Amino acid sequence: MKYVDEFRDAALGRLLAGEILNAVEPGRHVKIMEVCGGHTHSIYKYGVDDLLPENVELVHGPGCPVCVIPMGRVDDGIAIAQEPGVILTCFGDMMRVPGSDGTLLEAKARGADVRMVYSPLDALRIAKANPDREVVFFAIGFETTAPSTALTLKRAKAEGVANFSCFCNHVTIVPPLRALLDSPDLRFVGPGHVCTVVGARPLEFICEDYNKPVVVSGFEPVDILQSVLMILRQLGEGRSEVENQYKRVVPYEGNLRALEVMAEVFALRPHFEWRGLGFISHSGLKLSDAYSDLDAELRFAVPGVRVADPKACQCGEVLKGVIKPFECKVFGSACTPERPIGTCMVSSEGACAAYYNYGRFARERVVV
Amino acid sequence: MNCEDPHHCVTCGDDGIPERVVAIDEPRGLALCEREDGAHESVEIMLVAPVAVGDTILVHAGTALARLTGAEAVR
Repeated sequence: MKYVDEFRDAALGRLLAGEILNAVEPGRHVKIMEVCGGHTHSIYKYGVDDLLPENVELVHGPGCPVCVIPMGRVDDGIAIAQEPGVILTCFGDMMRVPGSDGTLLEAKARGADVRMVYSPLDALRIAKANPDREVVFFAIGFETTAPSTALTLKRAKAEGVANFSCFCNHVTIVPPLRALLDSPDLRFVGPGHVCTVVGARPLEFICEDYNKPVVVSGFEPVDILQSVLMILRQLGEGRSEVENQYKRVVPYEGNLRALEVMAEVFALRPHFEWRGLGFISHSGLKLSDAYSDLDAELRFAVPGVRVADPKACQCGEVLKGVIKPFECKVFGSACTPERPIGTCMVSSEGACAAYYNYGRFARERVVV
Repeated sequence: MNCEDPHHCVTCGDDGIPERVVAIDEPRGLALCEREDGAHESVEIMLVAPVAVGDTILVHAGTALARLTGAEAVR
């Protein structure tokens, strides 16, 4: 397919790998964090890391929407699902994220009406088809997904669908990046699809405040290799700039219509808890006052209790790039995609699941 | 390419899927689109309108986020 096949070209990939070898400074260790879980998945699906020299290390960031949901919010979702007459709708991976007393899938097995949807619009369709039931959409995701939820809420309001509401868990990407920038050696492959919405401009602080390069990247293997090369060239030339490798999709200013819709429907929470990262100021979205009548947290009683992560789980260290997934005590033994303990093992975009599914149980490569 | 795929959930993964516009329902702000695998779906196009039949758009969670442009497609 056009726009896909040319970015999976093996010959082009090998050419870029050669250029990366030429661009890397021997003996200098470069840590590059791919912020987005979609990148993590592509890297292991296509074996991109096998094409990189040992001293170019890819670490995996907090950009998997499922992985950063804290257990307390899962518990809140289950509590809503167990309310009489409620149909709770959510994306597929969210159903398998463990709360303190099981998952939404297990709540469904116990009798709650939990349904998987592909888009928020599907949830609204379920609401229209079941006017005698309360239909709640469990919204998760970064700025990529938030516009879709916002448009659906606008539709619900315009069409007067009174039995529809949203349990909002949308988060924004810049605050956790700021939290991670204390790590001295980190450079970033920027989140391509988030930037489709917010543009590349919000990443300028990485260069201006921290003097580090960042390259907004597409998700195909050639995209990621080219982005790594662009970062290495910036380092070699002493530059710190926001560069846009994903120009075929990402306008530097983002999608202004999407930003307008989000500004109308959402408001920033003062703080929001991230799995493994703790509370981060202004990093979560709630429904704005104008849409508060569609806010499930106001419509239903939610426990709102903070639940500590299981002690065995090291998702927090994985999300911060401190350890590799295979260095976690329970990776591949007590924690597997079939029976995840931590969120990073749930979604295929989670670093642990990507390592597990593509057989990365250790790393041995030759230093350039 | 859906959440039932045991290895990959396009919605949870912040994925954008290139899809070709097959038909447009302007009053409802929707377009019928075709994916790489030949499957069809109804897509919200308000954020990228106007689009024309034959355009390629990037779709996430049933919403088009961007139009793919040929000039920048291959660098």
